[in-house]
Amino acid sequence: MSEQNVSIKDLLGLSDEEMLKPLPIPTKWSQPFWDAAKEHRLVLKKCSTCGNIDHPPYLYCTACQADEHEWIEASGKGTLYAYAVNHFGVPFPFWDDMPYVLAMVDLPEGPRMISNIVECDIEKLANGMELEVVFDDVSGEITLPKWKPA
Amino acid sequence: MDRGEFAIIGTGEVPCGNYPERSEFETAYTVARAAIRDAGIDKDEIGAVVCAQHIMSNPNNDYNTEMVFGRLPEAIGAKGCRITCMTSSGGASSFSLRKTVEGILHSGETDTVLVVHAQRFSTFTPNEQAKYFSIAGSDVEWEVPYGMTYNALAAMVTQGYMAYTGTTIEQVASVCVACRKWAMLQPNAMFNKKEITVEKVLSSRMVAYPLTAFMCNVLADGGSAFVMTTAEKAKKVCDRPVYILGDASSYSHRTITRSKSRDLAKMGESMAPVAREAYEKAGLGPEDMDIYQVYGSYPALQLIVMDALGICEPGRSGALVESGETSPGGKYPVTTNGEALSFGHTGTGVGIALLVESVRQLQGKAGKAQVEGARFLVENTGGGAFMDCHFTILGNEIPH
Repeated sequence: MSEQNVSIKDLLGLSDEEMLKPLPIPTKWSQPFWDAAKEHRLVLKKCSTCGNIDHPPYLYCTACQADEHEWIEASGKGTLYAYAVNHFGVPFPFWDDMPYVLAMVDLPEGPRMISNIVECDIEKLANGMELEVVFDDVSGEITLPKWKPA
Repeated sequence: MDRGEFAIIGTGEVPCGNYPERSEFETAYTVARAAIRDAGIDKDEIGAVVCAQHIMSNPNNDYNTEMVFGRLPEAIGAKGCRITCMTSSGGASSFSLRKTVEGILHSGETDTVLVVHAQRFSTFTPNEQAKYFSIAGSDVEWEVPYGMTYNALAAMVTQGYMAYTGTTIEQVASVCVACRKWAMLQPNAMFNKKEITVEKVLSSRMVAYPLTAFMCNVLADGGSAFVMTTAEKAKKVCDRPVYILGDASSYSHRTITRSKSRDLAKMGESMAPVAREAYEKAGLGPEDMDIYQVYGSYPALQLIVMDALGICEPGRSGALVESGETSPGGKYPVTTNGEALSFGHTGTGVGIALLVESVRQLQGKAGKAQVEGARFLVENTGGGAFMDCHFTILGNEIPH
């Protein structure tokens, strides 16, 4: 598409600030997830009382409301459940990334995550394909776990 | 709630579309008076005014603040008003508003309640609208940083639903075609001038694969209102009250990844017991319904809800729509105002417009869209990132 040859920033005269991608603002209960991601580790919040794994995590276990928990290492493996490819009408900071893939990724540990599929031809995307986690250091503080074909 | 304890006796609506000169306040006052007149009551009989929350406020004259602070009863001269409040559950607001009204009526504080919705999007720039709506359905910590959008959310659900049920993209597109056919019969619909075809839907610009532009709803200015009362009063003041015969609800999630039904092919099936409960409370079944009013912000979501209604095998709704049976003149009229896709997406008002259209149908006031002899219908709504579902059975008589 022709508009992708010109940056949206130049085309519309947007400021640097308007082109900043939104970053996660960690909460008290999600901070350990983002701390681990920064070290390129994928972790999940597991309840020490009932064993439930919560993702996204919350203040206390959503199964039994207990506070006690541990952060477990995920295997880093996943399966592509369903996906979408954004071609148009995205927030400006993502404009120059189009087309990009959003997906529901199922982890063998139980949770499902929304993420991007990277390093993969769009034509090769398939429901059920095996994936592995990769880490994208998007700022000094934040690293986003993403997925690529295994 | 007892079966047929409450009834809706009048409705009001303004045309939906691009009306930048029409403020939310003008819309609210206009639909309020129209509903009161349609109900055939005196304005001073209104004992409570319940407003729907609107979205994307103007900071210089905030509609929500004004409505919470009682602007509406004053502006419409409702001298007998005792209670005013605001209610919202996004797209599911038609249901939460109605439940609020039922509570007020049940309390005995008043026997006549007015519900009003008004929205104006067109004074915001496309970028402001996109910015708000692109992220409203998504989790700001876990999804938005990945470039998630509302369209992508619906696209993923559509892609998974198609992959796991065998529904085709042509069948998904046929939902848009059917909605447009109904909207063509609606004077207040945003898109009521030009028919569309499956080919046209599929050849429109790709937005979020597999969704093309025609499969994505368009934000619109609009508003509607209705008057609700007890069955006892309704029988006295109204020739054709529309009774609430039964309803049922279910909440699933905020974040789509935590949906109670992780299997997209079975999402509709998981809503089926909720629909059944509503039918049972009304003492009716799917075969008794003359119309099926399905909330549908995106075409595949309409198919998913249709899977729950008991009118076809779950997963086969696409084939039913493709057959034309849900279009005007078909055996299963679905969504007779054209919904968000063709009537227009007025924020929290999408479901309210569908409820208002349901009442019009059962009062015989639906004009060209009228389903002849309609007695009973099922009305559905839901909001958020497909967070919940509600089914209500309405009728212009109370079945024995």
